[in-house]
Amino acid sequence: MKFVGVFLAVVGWLIPVVALTYTQSLGTRFVLTIVGIAISLVGILFVLNQAHLKHVIWKQ
Amino acid sequence: MMGSFTRKTGYSLLAAGLLLFCGHGAWGQAQTTPPASTPAAVTPAAATPPSMDTPLDVKAANPPSTDDLIKGDPGGTKTGTVSDIVVSDPKKGLTLADTVNQVGQNRIAINFVWTLITGFLVMFMQAGFAIVETGLCRAKNANHTMMMNFMVYSLGLFAFWVCGFAIQMGGGAPYATLGGANPLNSEHVLNLFGKTWGVWGTHGFFLTQAGSYDVGVMVLFLFQMVFMDTALTIVTGSAAERWKYVAFAVSSVFMGALTYPLFANWAWGGGWLSQLGANFGLGHGYCDFAGSGVVHAVGGLTALALSMIIGPRIGKYTRDGKPNAIPGHDIVLVLTGCFILAFGWFGFNPGSTLAASGNGALRISSVAVNTMLAGATGSFGAIFYMWIRYGKPDASMTGNGLLAGLVAITAPSGFVNSISSAIIGLVAGILVCISVEFVDRVLKVDDPVGAISVHGANGIWGVISVGLFADGTSNYGGSWNGVNGSVTGLFYGDASQLLAQLIGVGTLIGFVFSFSYVANVVIDLVVGQRSDPAEELAGLDIPEMGALGYPEFVLKPEGVGSAMAAD
Repeated sequence: MKFVGVFLAVVGWLIPVVALTYTQSLGTRFVLTIVGIAISLVGILFVLNQAHLKHVIWKQ
Repeated sequence: MMGSFTRKTGYSLLAAGLLLFCGHGAWGQAQTTPPASTPAAVTPAAATPPSMDTPLDVKAANPPSTDDLIKGDPGGTKTGTVSDIVVSDPKKGLTLADTVNQVGQNRIAINFVWTLITGFLVMFMQAGFAIVETGLCRAKNANHTMMMNFMVYSLGLFAFWVCGFAIQMGGGAPYATLGGANPLNSEHVLNLFGKTWGVWGTHGFFLTQAGSYDVGVMVLFLFQMVFMDTALTIVTGSAAERWKYVAFAVSSVFMGALTYPLFANWAWGGGWLSQLGANFGLGHGYCDFAGSGVVHAVGGLTALALSMIIGPRIGKYTRDGKPNAIPGHDIVLVLTGCFILAFGWFGFNPGSTLAASGNGALRISSVAVNTMLAGATGSFGAIFYMWIRYGKPDASMTGNGLLAGLVAITAPSGFVNSISSAIIGLVAGILVCISVEFVDRVLKVDDPVGAISVHGANGIWGVISVGLFADGTSNYGGSWNGVNGSVTGLFYGDASQLLAQLIGVGTLIGFVFSFSYVANVVIDLVVGQRSDPAEELAGLDIPEMGALGYPEFVLKPEGVGSAMAAD
């Protein structure tokens, strides 16, 4: 799950970057950038963090 | 007699002044906007410019005599005259070329001194960070926390000198306000999708490679180095009280050598984020005046990555996951440190003009006022939030509110007006409180000093606020990131600037976090990041550093979860 979390974070970054080159529409770029940031945040704060919390010191 | 003299002379002077003013105005207009169709009859004949090596009549400037100078100059009117201009050829005497060169050197000298002194102020912020973090930790870890903050300066400096500076700034020249620093002119670019993407600089390794042994480069290095070190020292706070010292050292060198310089190149060194305006028509590209994103968000997100990897301190959470408050040992240190940081921020933001003369640099006054305003409203936001929510004006969170306001105004300080600054700071002060609760209770990530919230969350807020509040009045030499005109945000008519800022935010969250995370996982596998549990319980001062921070204190065995449970 840690790998999935980092993967989502990177994919979320690449979405707006790649979108820059495929569309000129400001609105579309805005939407894709927001979507990308959301995917990155989900990957980091929930997927990756939950994976770390499974073996956290206060559960041992 | 005196009245008559004054009136007559005054009228004469007024008339002469008006003539001079009109003449000057006409001259100035002729330089900038030549008339489209001026009748030939009134076109002035082009005057032959004087030869640059023409000796000047120095006596006409009425320099003070040697006898005058021997008497001293208590009024300060005889020091700094035509006599002080350096003459290149004593046989010719003072020439027009000497005078013009002196003007140019004076401008660059003003900018050098300004940038260096503001860099010294930023360096002093290390002391502020050190005592804020130490004060927020327990006394049993005081030596360890101070020593991390102390050595991060040298470790970061070394890494930055070896390669970090070259990666960050090695392709960003010319830096006009510092005389060019022209050896830093080689950026490694990728050609993708028909565009060039600058990714890292290649000149300036060891401050000697590729002609980088240069006075302008040295000024730039010092200023950028202290910024980089600020980012590094953010991480020591969030990982305090359980970070193995050797892992801290390796991680800090890596961050100073690669993580920070890469993103800083993209934002400040001519890299692809700064070119979003020129390449893709997004405002002026990613704009981060003094580093809410480059310095603070990079530090805060690296702090988040590391805090996830090493986990919370023993005793921070109960077995069912409820957070315990672990109060710091010295609130006096904390608030004193916050004041030191606020003082240092006057170097951080106004110094980021890299100039006090020319190129619109007089805006330093506005930048300084914006900085102090946002810090003040940040502390307002935090104190009111805590007072209303918990019934007491929490001291450490009020300090964090001040810092949050300062972090948030760092990126927009050069582009916004004072009302926007006050709003940005106020939002930051509230945001830091909400973020601390979220990190502590929802994410269950242990951050002893609130660094993730102060620097990460508010660094990102600062980056976004440029895209909202930039008012289009700044003019640093007429362009920013190679795009003519002033940086203008959504509220002043340019939505594309906000998009450029959001792409910067996406890069911070997606790339910087991931890069830091993977690097620190590797370091964890090689040297281990987390200290031994028994050593952590005893306090890291003796096991890690060999001496207590406060040898004459009697330390309580364990105080977690006793008095101030977080909820």
